[in-house]
Amino acid sequence: MNILANYNWIKDFLKKPADVDAFIERMTASGMTVDYAHNLSERFEGMVVGVVKEVADHPDADRLKVVKTDIGKKVVQIVCGGVNLVPDQKVVVAPPGSKARWHGEEEWTELKEVKVRGVSSYGMICAGEELGFEKLPHASEAGPLIWNITHATDAPAGTPIKEALELDDVLFDIEVTTNRPDAMSIIGLAREAAAVKAGSFNWQPKLLPKDGPRKDFSVRVEDKERCLRYQAVVIDGVTVKESPWWLQKRLLLSGHRPINNLVDITNYILHEYGQPMHTFDYEKIENGEIVVRAAKNNEKFLALDEETYELKKEHRVIADKKGPIALAAVMGRLESGTNEESTCIVLECATFEPVSVRRTARDVSLYSDSQQLFEKGLSPEATTPALARAIELVQELAGGKVASKVIDVRSSEYKSLAFDYKPSQVNARLGINLTEDEQIEMLELLGFDLERSSDDLYNVTVPYWRDHDIEDPVDFSEEIGRIYGYENIPPTMPVEPVTPGTPDPSLVYERHAKKWLKQLGIMEVFHYSFASEADLADWGIKRDEALSFINPLTVDHQYLRLSLVPSILRTIERNQGHAPDGTVFEYANIYLPNKNDLPTEEPHLVVVGYGETSSDFLKMKGVLERLMRQFGISDMELVRTKDNRYHSGRSASVLVGGKAVGIIGELAPTLRNEFGIDARTAVLDLNMSLVIPNANTSKSYSSIPAFPSVRRDVAMLVDERLEFTEIKHAFMNVEEIVRDVLLFDVYQGVGIPEGKKSVAVRVVLRADDKTLSSEDADTVLTKIHSIVEKTFKGTVR
Amino acid sequence: MDALKQLESQFSKELKSISSLEALEELRVKFLGRKGEFTEIAKSMKGMSDEDKKTFGKELNETKESITNLLEGAKKELNKEVLAKMEESEWVDITAPGTGPKEGSLHIVSQTIHEVEDIFASIGFTRYPVREIDWDYYAFEALNMPKDHPARDEWETYFIDIPESKKGKMVATPHPSNNQVRLIEELETPFRALYIGKAYRRQADVTHVPVHHQLEVEAISKKTSFAELKGVIEYFVRAFFGEDRKVRLRPHHFRFTEPSFEVDISCAVCGGVGCRVCKQGWLELAGAGMTHPNVLRAGGLDPDEYQGFAFAFGIERILMMREGIKLDDLRDLYKNDFRFLEQF
Repeated sequence: MNILANYNWIKDFLKKPADVDAFIERMTASGMTVDYAHNLSERFEGMVVGVVKEVADHPDADRLKVVKTDIGKKVVQIVCGGVNLVPDQKVVVAPPGSKARWHGEEEWTELKEVKVRGVSSYGMICAGEELGFEKLPHASEAGPLIWNITHATDAPAGTPIKEALELDDVLFDIEVTTNRPDAMSIIGLAREAAAVKAGSFNWQPKLLPKDGPRKDFSVRVEDKERCLRYQAVVIDGVTVKESPWWLQKRLLLSGHRPINNLVDITNYILHEYGQPMHTFDYEKIENGEIVVRAAKNNEKFLALDEETYELKKEHRVIADKKGPIALAAVMGRLESGTNEESTCIVLECATFEPVSVRRTARDVSLYSDSQQLFEKGLSPEATTPALARAIELVQELAGGKVASKVIDVRSSEYKSLAFDYKPSQVNARLGINLTEDEQIEMLELLGFDLERSSDDLYNVTVPYWRDHDIEDPVDFSEEIGRIYGYENIPPTMPVEPVTPGTPDPSLVYERHAKKWLKQLGIMEVFHYSFASEADLADWGIKRDEALSFINPLTVDHQYLRLSLVPSILRTIERNQGHAPDGTVFEYANIYLPNKNDLPTEEPHLVVVGYGETSSDFLKMKGVLERLMRQFGISDMELVRTKDNRYHSGRSASVLVGGKAVGIIGELAPTLRNEFGIDARTAVLDLNMSLVIPNANTSKSYSSIPAFPSVRRDVAMLVDERLEFTEIKHAFMNVEEIVRDVLLFDVYQGVGIPEGKKSVAVRVVLRADDKTLSSEDADTVLTKIHSIVEKTFKGTVR
Repeated sequence: MDALKQLESQFSKELKSISSLEALEELRVKFLGRKGEFTEIAKSMKGMSDEDKKTFGKELNETKESITNLLEGAKKELNKEVLAKMEESEWVDITAPGTGPKEGSLHIVSQTIHEVEDIFASIGFTRYPVREIDWDYYAFEALNMPKDHPARDEWETYFIDIPESKKGKMVATPHPSNNQVRLIEELETPFRALYIGKAYRRQADVTHVPVHHQLEVEAISKKTSFAELKGVIEYFVRAFFGEDRKVRLRPHHFRFTEPSFEVDISCAVCGGVGCRVCKQGWLELAGAGMTHPNVLRAGGLDPDEYQGFAFAFGIERILMMREGIKLDDLRDLYKNDFRFLEQF
């Protein structure tokens, strides 16, 4: 949560305030982060009060006026589009050399004297937003509005704006953490500033008036569990009008839009006290009777934002006999609020239970500044000082008299929170060594009340404004730590010896596999874990097989992936225009649903090669073989499989130790078209949860042969469907001296009969006890030739 | 005898005019070949007395050796010239691109994960896996965030369409902190753990991606303190960002740590004076804090006996903060445009 707070306002409650830099540094170091600090006198540098003398039409532009404006030393001519310009009006003039923010832009621009449609213009007359006051009205149906400051200042033409409007101030944009709604206020910030010695806290809560009742007014709270406290009072004889500039200015700087004195006062209290308030028109409350009750199911409610909301019985409303006049803690009803005609009003100041406020706002999707504060948890003790201050301001700015007693309905008597606190524990937790007195001073400055029980043990009473965020004695370590300053805590390295854990194989091998794939010239891709309905359907997965989100961000992200392949194919489709050939991989989990349990997160490695040189089945098999060798897996084999997503003649199941661990193959041509990929595409999809348990990085070796090997080449013409494994297996079984059979050429085409292929292999022969003679080799070769002819029905060439 | 001397001097004379390896070979054949001059002279040994034969034989061998040596010498010289000419003629364009093995690439997120993993490993943090899909209980409730707590709003959480279990709804974890209580349940204390997981958040704009990566460290022991947490953070920042970046610990609020803080590092763009990319000279790096007693209790530990800390940051965030990779749109990391990926 962020709050805009100007320093002059904070100084109302801070004696001997620190300079701006010290304030920023100390507040930030203790947890009230000053994100930005705007020096207002710099922002308004050079700008002066102008008095409009004459407004004439621009000769060449319908929507522009030429304005003679008195800026003190002289009368200048300014071209301006404002439709509300009239003579004698006071305006803000930004002469050449000053800086303004053009409509809606973020950057401040230095002004120059320019010609606008042929007429020279001495700077500009500013609208509120051009000065950084976005909340001021800057347009009407008729056109843009300039900022009329006639009522804001008595200063004559030529007076610098920062003097005329008393803007010599610094505006802080402060991040307040969500546990500290008490600090989302000027008083709360002043209290924090005092705790870090950026001044001394100076606030006396106002007292409620004791006027007797004159108007009929009553409040009944039906649900005291959710409405913790309800205070209200009637003030009669008020005049609704524009607020004085000092109040408008503070609201504008805080990001509120000034409306009228009554609305402005509630916003002022919201900002100064952090306590939401509401005003009702007394005359519009039936019989002067307010009930805090559950809404009825389907009860309609027209809110201040002019939208109608349908309520449920779980929601709480402020109502009179006729119906709801406010959705409790969230927003008032349009017709029950005060307006220019109101003369008798009800001021409401209440506290609601945070969880129900949060649920209500979410149910009806209606949020407001007040509701945001209520749902963080406000203290029921905070209402009295806020109401007292509001009554004082109403009487000061709108007149009127208190015309009822101050009604106060609360769920139970307030009991302050209290905890035991041990200074030594705070030191141990922070790793520091503060004395008890040092710690106590910090807590007391924050408003905690301490009572010593025994040695190293205190009873701490929590001040009401902290009764939501202080939940446990451990919270005192944060209070002391942040006030002491985290920068003062000495860094050390962990001291207690720890037995290092065993590295997880899945993580270790994931990292290795990625490195190996990079070394093979493959590029890593990274996708979100999501799948669209089309991703599932195109990959032949039924919708109900995948886990789906209740609240996906887009329809493309409806499901959790059951395969990495579709994401990768879509990526290839997008890249093929500029990269017609390539190989990529992704290593990520897929999510397999389990009945009544968390899904299995199964790591997969998918490699996809596409295009002329990268989509070859055997090339992909080469990648697989290299990976398996790196994993130390030697019993990998491929078995033909039937999966209609893959090319039936060019795909296989990958087995390790006889168990399927993945699939390799060229994508079925129809499926490839489905994904819009122009080139042939080969896929390797490994389930790493099955591969990794077989991995073995221990190395074995066989000794270097004592006798040389002999090689013999065999060329043969065989049936085209005869697989190499069969040939190799048959040859290896001929005699023990056959050590290996290597494929070095396969040829089909000119000179080879239909249905046949020419295969050339190299047979490696070696004995362990002698150098082989050529006769030994010839004997083996004769047997091999006979296998070719008899077993394979082929011919030796 | 004279015949031998004559032969040798004639050889020397002819050798001088030789200018190629081929001519040299011809010369060798002429003198030392099977039908060459030398064989002719040797024939004269026939009919000599044994004594003479012995003497002549010796001289014959000496002459042959001398000629052979001269031939070898000349061959070496000629070879040198040939090689020199070859080098001169075999010129390559050294500015043409290399044709070595094709290089693959690892995604910059993978590279960064490996790097930070190594930094924490060097101070005794072991990496553990972390679930991406988990129960609400581990993602929130065990982390001191009861149902309906407004702190949950800070994570735009993805919920999975599955009936609620005893441990609540099934969520795509918005942070890897679901491992905090799981590890306390699973591991022997004391421990120092590290886990890197996917963080799912319903946000996608120029500064947010719906799935990003987060690293979290968790340490539990009887003596773990804020001072130790600060030491670990400063070690990491120095190792990853370099000595010249300053660290600021700014008090913050997280439900699962107490005290809690955010870690800022000085902005490298402006050097810490304040600019468009930073807040008053600082960039937010990470969230951290001392493990909340309720989290320890949820894991079955006695908070009066044990203390812990946790520290977490986004991988994408730190890689951009260090590399000075100015991505206009964070989503570019996951668009998988090969022209982007191949740069890493």
